[in-house]
Formats: sequence, structure tokens, C-alpha cells
Amino acid sequence: MTPLPSQSDTPLVRVHDLSVRFAGTPPVHAVNNVSFDLAPGEVLGILGESGSGKSVTLKTLLRLLPERKTRITGTIEVDGQDVLSLQGRALADHRGGVASMIFQDPSLALDPVYTIGQQIAETVIRHEGASKTDAMARALEMLELVRIPSARRRLDNYPHEMSGGMRQRAMIALALACRPKLLLADEPTTALDATVQIQILLLLRDLQQELGMGVIFVTHDIGVAVEVSDRLAVMYAGSFVETGSVRDVIRDARHPYSKGLLAANLVGAVPGTRLDAVPGAPPALSALPEGCSFAPRCAHAEAACSASPIPVWTGGDGRWARCVQASRAEAMAGAGGRS
Amino acid sequence: MAVTAETIAPLATIEKSQGYWRSVWTRFLRDKVAVCAGLVAAGLVLMAIFTPWIAPADPLQGSMIKRLSPIGTEGYPLGADELGRDMLSRLIYGARLSLFMGVVPVLIAFAIGSTIGIAAGYLGGWVNTITMRVLDVLYAFPSVLLAIAISGALGAGILNGLLSLTVVFIPPIARVAESVTTSVRKLEYIEAAQASGASSLQIVRDHVLGNVLGPIFVYSTSLISVSMILAAGLSFLGLGVSPPNAEWGLMLNTLRNAIYVQPWLAALPGVMIFLTSISFNMLSDGLRSAMDVKQ
Amino acid sequence: MSAPILSAHNLVKHFNAGGFGAARKVVRAVDDVSFELAPGETLGVVGESGCGKSTTARLLVQLLTPDSGSVRFDGKVVGPELPLKAFRSKVQMVFQDSFASLNPRMTMIDAVAFGPMVHGASRGEATRKAQDLLDRVGLDPARFGGRYAHELSGGQRQRVNIARALAFDPQVIVLDEAVSALDKSVEAQVLNLLMDLRRERGLTYVFISHDLNVVRHISDRVMVMYLGEVAEIGPAESLYSAPRHPYTEALLAAMPSLDPDRRTLEAPLAGDPPNPIDPPPGCRFHTRCAHAFGPCSTQVPVSYKVGKSHVAACHLNTSKEQVA
Repeated sequence: MTPLPSQSDTPLVRVHDLSVRFAGTPPVHAVNNVSFDLAPGEVLGILGESGSGKSVTLKTLLRLLPERKTRITGTIEVDGQDVLSLQGRALADHRGGVASMIFQDPSLALDPVYTIGQQIAETVIRHEGASKTDAMARALEMLELVRIPSARRRLDNYPHEMSGGMRQRAMIALALACRPKLLLADEPTTALDATVQIQILLLLRDLQQELGMGVIFVTHDIGVAVEVSDRLAVMYAGSFVETGSVRDVIRDARHPYSKGLLAANLVGAVPGTRLDAVPGAPPALSALPEGCSFAPRCAHAEAACSASPIPVWTGGDGRWARCVQASRAEAMAGAGGRS
Repeated sequence: MAVTAETIAPLATIEKSQGYWRSVWTRFLRDKVAVCAGLVAAGLVLMAIFTPWIAPADPLQGSMIKRLSPIGTEGYPLGADELGRDMLSRLIYGARLSLFMGVVPVLIAFAIGSTIGIAAGYLGGWVNTITMRVLDVLYAFPSVLLAIAISGALGAGILNGLLSLTVVFIPPIARVAESVTTSVRKLEYIEAAQASGASSLQIVRDHVLGNVLGPIFVYSTSLISVSMILAAGLSFLGLGVSPPNAEWGLMLNTLRNAIYVQPWLAALPGVMIFLTSISFNMLSDGLRSAMDVKQ
Repeated sequence: MSAPILSAHNLVKHFNAGGFGAARKVVRAVDDVSFELAPGETLGVVGESGCGKSTTARLLVQLLTPDSGSVRFDGKVVGPELPLKAFRSKVQMVFQDSFASLNPRMTMIDAVAFGPMVHGASRGEATRKAQDLLDRVGLDPARFGGRYAHELSGGQRQRVNIARALAFDPQVIVLDEAVSALDKSVEAQVLNLLMDLRRERGLTYVFISHDLNVVRHISDRVMVMYLGEVAEIGPAESLYSAPRHPYTEALLAAMPSLDPDRRTLEAPLAGDPPNPIDPPPGCRFHTRCAHAFGPCSTQVPVSYKVGKSHVAACHLNTSKEQVA
């Protein structure tokens, strides 16, 4: 595995060789040997389709998976702490204190029987031991931060009294209440209407810069990923297949799966023409093929693709793709240049 | 169609996937508790069917000197009742009437209740509102009270008991049928069937029934134990089955005076009622979870 | 435009949202919507939640009865002039939820064969046709024909739903967010299939989606809806390059940029779409519109012809010719 080098010397998040298995017959290989670093104040977009392991990766960072059914190997460090060994109080401090998460559906993430103000205040009291008045003051401050109009009145609203976009803002306020260093976003705009989605994306981008948080943003939508991310990781069948700066991955995708995704998002497509669609469907995570998981769908697959390990092409500045073809094309170009 | 018959697979080669009921069966077999309950229930049913060959003695043949013999008396493995009749044989014979009173009213109510409920659920609107409000009136009475009231008005006897129990079970079954049908009716495959131009009867037959009868049936099986207990209660009050017939509820009634003399003996019919109702309940629980299709 | 194959005339559909008498709340799901479909064209329909696009789809295929207005097929009013059952085999629909639109107790062959059997085909004929169609949508009938819905992936199920619609030999298919729930790579496959079928069979599509990229790719004309009304309708090309309704403009500006060097800098609209229960008076969009002026809050804008078969309902176009 090639860990991503980051701009700073002390990364905020350091994930090394992370694998997640769910018990079952046969076991499900949800995440396979994922490694990456995230610098403080950096935004990493993880792009993948359903079942690619992107959400599982995110939940593992908060240790939200059911312990009894899950086997996690590898290491996760957030802010210098070994997340996988956290217990009890330390784990509670990690969740919501150091790192916190926002979800796709705020109506499930917010408690319907408490007001927005109570929920934010409760979090502040639990994590910081603040007094009730101070906590409420912070709640108001947070609602203003996420630009909820007439915030003071909204403090006393229950989640169902708010519109979809407003609820999503309230959830962001709740997640940021204890000033986490790391924000994990799990498709937070997928359920929203287009005109509301862009508002939330811009809000997240502003808040990230204002507060200097590190953000890991999981999405299936390339457009959304481009709007918020500094770097992009493309995930397929539980593995990272390609990473790099957003610009590099979008302009010059090296992995055939990334190329297929771009084509499917109609990047540069002429209206009415057939799309360059990737055939087939992702493999079952309980029966991953040997070698490159994408090989069975790949137009350029060859014998070497079904042998482990798959060579990795690296392009400098944290740019790499795990693909037989990409690494060979580079080697040939290099040889040609020398002769 | 440009494709000729030769180019396509003949009908016989279509890979038949494991059918829905096969998969329910497979899941059911994995549930140990439900399988045990099923075996007990099946045993009781078999016992009721083959009574004459199993029972060691005549259930009506009394003996004055053997009255209230304790469990383990020679020739009377489970003792004898207040008229000196063999308890074991009476318990075995009792299974017939008790199970009959448990199962038959529920079956009849299932047929009537699901028809009403499915019709109300599928048609919706005013039909639904009126039907359901009428049923709600019946439903408002506690089931015991309703059964006693109807039986009391009609008089004692097996048939009257049967009728009153059936009436008691129609409203709850119709309610479940209505709610299951209403939720199925909103699904898009029903809309797709409507968009195909099929008539309401066709849609109900081909698309609704298969998807609602299972859940309604499972709910109904959970009423079997209630029906048995109610029937026993009616007999106990002298409203259902009448002596000298062997029926567990009735036996419980006639033995109640013996509770200070032979408490274990007096408890035996109760044990049978308990065993039967719990096995039917666990069986229906097992069926419910086995029928839960996941995407 | 040649004689329309399917047309909607002043469709209105209100739903009761509870309450009685004066307190009665009415969802104005679709209000006075008219449009025409030329044979062989694809009309994209876009808009946010509550804009009435799904209700319009259901009115169009007669799954809902309009409060007023009519649908015409080939010039004939559906109902009085064209029997519903005959109309059913001409206009079919594919729904968003591929799982909910298949009967969980039916094999895929039976699901596809159901339609032809309703219209009088024998079981043998219908099954044969179902096999052909499964094969055509890319599912080997020998492998998939005997399966049940939960044994297929989302993309495979949506192919079955397309085959089921095709089994009527329809001329128009209404696709209500038919590819929205699919993963991008699978979505592209299904879009290709839809475009191939359109060419092969001369199908006319009504393609409803919230994804403006996809709509632009597949549609000849696009209709933009807002709170139950048509805001703008016109050729995809001119509507995307020169929108004449501020709402269309905002929708286009809200699309995430696919260019990292040209990220969106400002959200075009603030707040959520208002509730269709009590839509604003005048132009329904005026509460969120940056260009709103005098008449917008009081007068309902009429439709103005802003280009070749391009119509927008906005007071900014008063210099243009009105459309009756």
C-alpha cells in the first residue's frame, strides 16, 4: 500500500492498512487494505457507488460499527490517538469531541422529542461540562454559524417543524457544537433538492475554511465531490483504486473505473449519443475476485489483472492508481523518454 | 417481434429459482424454537386425530371407587377424575374438542375477515371507512365479554360456542387484512398492474392475494390459542361444551372442587391448554419471521 | 411540430391535506398544466420535490383522474373518445423504485407476461414475448426468467420493469425517475438501453428526473415545473444555454460544477422550495426570485413565446408574443 503523503508533517488522520470484515457465511469484505492520511484543514472526498465500502470506512473512524459482528484490522490514528483501542470515556470523547459525523437523513439523526436547542446544549454539556446557560448560548451561536435565519426562535423548534434544508443545517450545527477537528460527512446532501444541496455544500465549504477542520466527505456524486474536496479517493469494492488532487483525478483519470464514472456522469458527452458505460455490476463483497476487483468489468483486463498484488502507478504529490495498465503505460512512457 | 421461436430458450430450460415458500421453509427450519413448537403442535393434532387408538381407556367409563385417584395409580397413569374416569384418556380425547374449538372458529373468521378486510383495503374511500367503523364497534367490546354475551344469548352447545367465537375473531382479522392490503395497494407494482389495464378482480387475484394472505394467516394462527382459551372459558361457565364430553376447559371446571384434595390432578387440563396455546403462538411467531422477505 | 401523439390539456389535480370547511388544506399538486408530445421525441421534465412532476406523470398515464382537464392520445380524448383499456397498451410507465414496482411473489417472466395476458394473449404467447423482451433488455431469460425480484440487482430489476412496459408494444413510455435510484455506472447502461430502444421502436418518452445532466443528455425538449405549474418549456439546447425563466436559470446554476477550477461561488437561491399547500399568489416563484418586480406578486404570468417552440411563464418576457 502506498499511503498518501500529505501537505503537513503531522497528519490529523492516519489510516494504515485498514480492513473491515463482517461476520457471516461467507464473511463480507467491506473494506480492504485502505490507507490514507488527512492533513489538518484538508478535505478528502471519497467517491464510490453503493456497497463500495465508503460509508463503512467513515463509520470505522468513529467506531460506530457493531463490535460483535465486525473484525477490524490495521490502524487508525486521529489527532495522535489510536482510535481502535479507545474504550469507555475516551471513546465517548472521541465521538463528537474530536471527530463528529453528519448523515444523509437528518430526520433520523436528530431526536424528534427534543428541540434543536436542547440537543445542541446537551452535547456541549456532556463534552465540555458547560453550564446550562452557557450551553444554550453556544447552541444559539452554532445556529447562527450555520446561517439559520431567526436563530433564536429556531432554538425552540422540534426537528419536524423545520424544512429539509433547515434540518440539515441544524444537524451540522449539532456536529460542530464541540468544535471537532475532524468532520465526517456521509452523503449529507443526497436527499436534498438541487437548489438546497448547493446551499449546504457552500455552507460546509465555508465552515471548513472558517474553522480549519479536516473533512472526509463521502459521496456517490462526482459533482458534489468536486465542489467540496481538495483531494479525491475513488473507492471500488472496498478498496481505494485511485487518489490524487481533485483536479488531477477529474482531468486525467488513470483507473478504468474512474474513467467509467466520469463517462457515466456525462463529462464531455454529446447529448443523445450512447454513453461509454462500464458493463456489469460490482462484485459481491463476500466473493471478491483475486487481483483487481474491477477486472471482470474492465474492457482492458488481461491475465495479469487477476494476480495479486496489482502494481500501483504513482504520479507524485499523493497521486496514484492501482491498475496494471496504468502502471505499464507509465513505465513505457518512461522508457521511451530515456532512449 | 423479429426474434423467432428458435432463437430463444424453450420454456422448459428456464432456471426455476427457489420459490418464495421454499425459502420460507428453509428459514423456518433454521429457527429451532419454532420447529420445536411446530412438532409439539403437530403431535397434538395427530393425537386428536388418532384418539381411539392412543387412549388406553374409555373416557366416559367411570368408577366410583377410583374417584380422584392420584397420578401414578395402577391402571390410571395420570389418575382419575371426580367420577373415576381415566384422566389420561380424557385428556387425549379432550384434545379433539379443544383443538376443534381453537382452530375452526379461527379458520371461518379468517375466511370471512380477510374477505371483508381485503375488499375494504383495496377499494378504500367510503367503503373502507364505513366497513371499518362498523367493525370497530364490535372490536370495542372485550373479546371475552362478547363471546359470553353471544353464547349466553344463543344458549349452550358446541355449535353456538363456535358461532360466538367466530364473530369475536372476525373484526381483528379484518382489521389486519385491511391494513396489510392498504399498504400493499400503495406499492408501485399495483400501480403498474392498474396501468396495464387489468380489472380490479384480476389485480386482487394476481397481485394482492399472494402478498397479503400470508401475513393475515400468520396473525390468525396467533388467535388459535386465544380461541382455545375462550372456548375453555365458555365451557367453564357452562356455555360451550357440556358434560359429559371431554374438553379441557370443561374438565378444569368440574375438577375445580378437587383442587384442595388433588391439586396436581386438577391442574392437568390447564397444563394441556397452556402447552397447546404456547406451541401455537411460538409456531406463528416463527412463521412470521420466516415470511419476512428481505430485499 | 407534427400532430402530437400525446397531449395534456389544462390538467389540474388538487389533493386534500386534511381539515374541513374553511380550515381545509389543499395541496395544489398540478395546476393548469398543458403540453404536447410529438411522435418519437423525448420530453424531459425537471423540478424539485413538490413541483408536481410525479403527479403529472400519473395523470398522463391515467393512474390519477384529473380534477379538470384532459389527456388526448392521437387527438382523441382518453375516456370519452378512446377507451381506457386501449389507451393503457399505448402509454406505459416505469417507476423509480425498481423493487416496489415488481410483485415479490412473481417470477420475472410472469411479471412481464402479465400485461399481454391482460390484453388477451394466451399464456404461451405472453411467455414467449416476455422471454424475447427480457433478452432484449439484456437479461438472459433462461437465467433470470424464473427469478424473483429480491434475487436481482437494482439495475436488473429496472431492466425487467422496462421489459414489462415494452410488453404492451406501447408508443409512449413515461419514465418517472426511472434511473435515479441506480448507481452511476449502472445508470449509464440503462440510459444506453433506453436510447437504443427509442431508436429501434420509435418510442416517445416522457423522462422525469431531478438530474439535469441526464435530462439534457436524453431529451429533445425539456419542461421545467415549479409548484405545480410549468415555468418554462423548450428545446433542450436553447433552454440550457439561454433559460428564459429565472427558476430555470437558478436550477442550472445550482448544478454542482464538474470543473475544479470553476466551483460554484454562490448559491442561486436561498431557502427550501415553499409548500405546495399554500402557494404564493401571483407568480409562484416570486418569493425566491432575484428579479421579482411589481406585477410578480399579484399577477399570474401568462406564457410568452421566447424562441422557436420555447415558452416561458415569466413577467420578464412581456415584450414577447403571448401564447394562447
